Amino acid sequence: MSAVVATSLSQRFGSDMALDGVDLAVDAGEHLAVLGENGAGKTTLLRILATAARPTSGTLEIFGLDAMVERRRLRSRIGYVAHAPGLYPALSAAENLAFFCTLQGVDRGRVAEVLDLVGLAELAGRLAANLSRGAQQRLAIGRAVLHDPKLLVLDEPDASLDSGGAELLVRIMRGRTAVIATHDHALANRLCQRTVELRRGRVAGIPTRLRVVH
Amino acid sequence: MTFATIALAVARKDLMSEWRTRELVPALAQFVVLALVIANFGFQFDAHNATAIAPGVLWMALVFAGLVAFGRAFAAEREQSSLEAMLMTPASPGAIFAGKALAAALLLVACEAVLLPALALFFSVPLSFAVLSAVLLATVGMAVLGCLFAAMVARVRARELLLPLLTLPLWIPFIVVGGQAVQAAMGGAGGTSQATGLLVDLDILFVVLTSLTARFVLDD
Repeated sequence: MSAVVATSLSQRFGSDMALDGVDLAVDAGEHLAVLGENGAGKTTLLRILATAARPTSGTLEIFGLDAMVERRRLRSRIGYVAHAPGLYPALSAAENLAFFCTLQGVDRGRVAEVLDLVGLAELAGRLAANLSRGAQQRLAIGRAVLHDPKLLVLDEPDASLDSGGAELLVRIMRGRTAVIATHDHALANRLCQRTVELRRGRVAGIPTRLRVVH
Repeated sequence: MTFATIALAVARKDLMSEWRTRELVPALAQFVVLALVIANFGFQFDAHNATAIAPGVLWMALVFAGLVAFGRAFAAEREQSSLEAMLMTPASPGAIFAGKALAAALLLVACEAVLLPALALFFSVPLSFAVLSAVLLATVGMAVLGCLFAAMVARVRARELLLPLLTLPLWIPFIVVGGQAVQAAMGGAGGTSQATGLLVDLDILFVVLTSLTARFVLDD
């Protein structure tokens, strides 16, 4: 069963075509890597899949729901790590997560669990502004899984992560459907069963099946 | 996860951030005091015309302080890409907006706590409950309108220019009616009760209008 079905997704910014008729299907539990050079349209595609942006044309179904209509309902099932961490610098790591617990309607007891999951338990009280870039990225990843989403949309989540970052991504993606944009082919190979490559807003060639991950 | 819970959480987060960074309120307080100092030197006033000049100076200082306070409310969120993270939750955009407007209004009230005593000191005008209530009532309506337009222009490059262009025309009723209420309360012509009643009406009108439109402004 497909968790994500995108049909003819296009996104135009003025005269620039960022996405041009992208068709994509991701099975439930599958991990898909989106590869491509800078400006290929990866971030635009992921923003649409995460319901953070609306496409100019095309349709998108997530878990059988029309993503253009049921955006708010779907957002409780989607965890999104954007390009920028989007944290509150004057709040501590724990306070950042606690704030998003309220917005997600999740019990605050989840904060400690998630900080432990992303390896920031010891930095819980440190202001986000004083965290290293890698720790900020871990916190952003933690925020994305705070509400235990069924679908993860990760835009270059490995950016700034240290050598343990790949292990963290394996942990959070386990048991979930995931779409991940990355430049790192080795990471894509390790985390995902399938890759698609974007070139100038179009899917290039035939999606590659890498291996079956159990 | 009620509307009020979300709004209060957002307001608390903004106030806590301001308390820790002290980015806005100290600068705004200095700004309003400087505005009063300049007006004090610029206007030739005496005991007879102080009550006519002081309300105008008060609203000028308040309007410009408000533009800065409300402009920062959403610009900071956009700059640190945190607004999108908030909107990616199932929380109602209307509740998020209400929380932002509440925090911005409270920050402006903090500035008013400096502005009003300074006005009384520089212009030797009386401060009364009627003055205070007129200023606070106008703050409510100005906050919701200011925050709505601040949210609208936050993603635009020329937001510092656009925000006053959009906001000031709609703030004029508050300035006119609030000015009348303050002038009457300071001993000038007119009655305060009618102007205060009109401020309440304007607040209700704009709170309802902005709460209906906020979700379309925030949600792409």
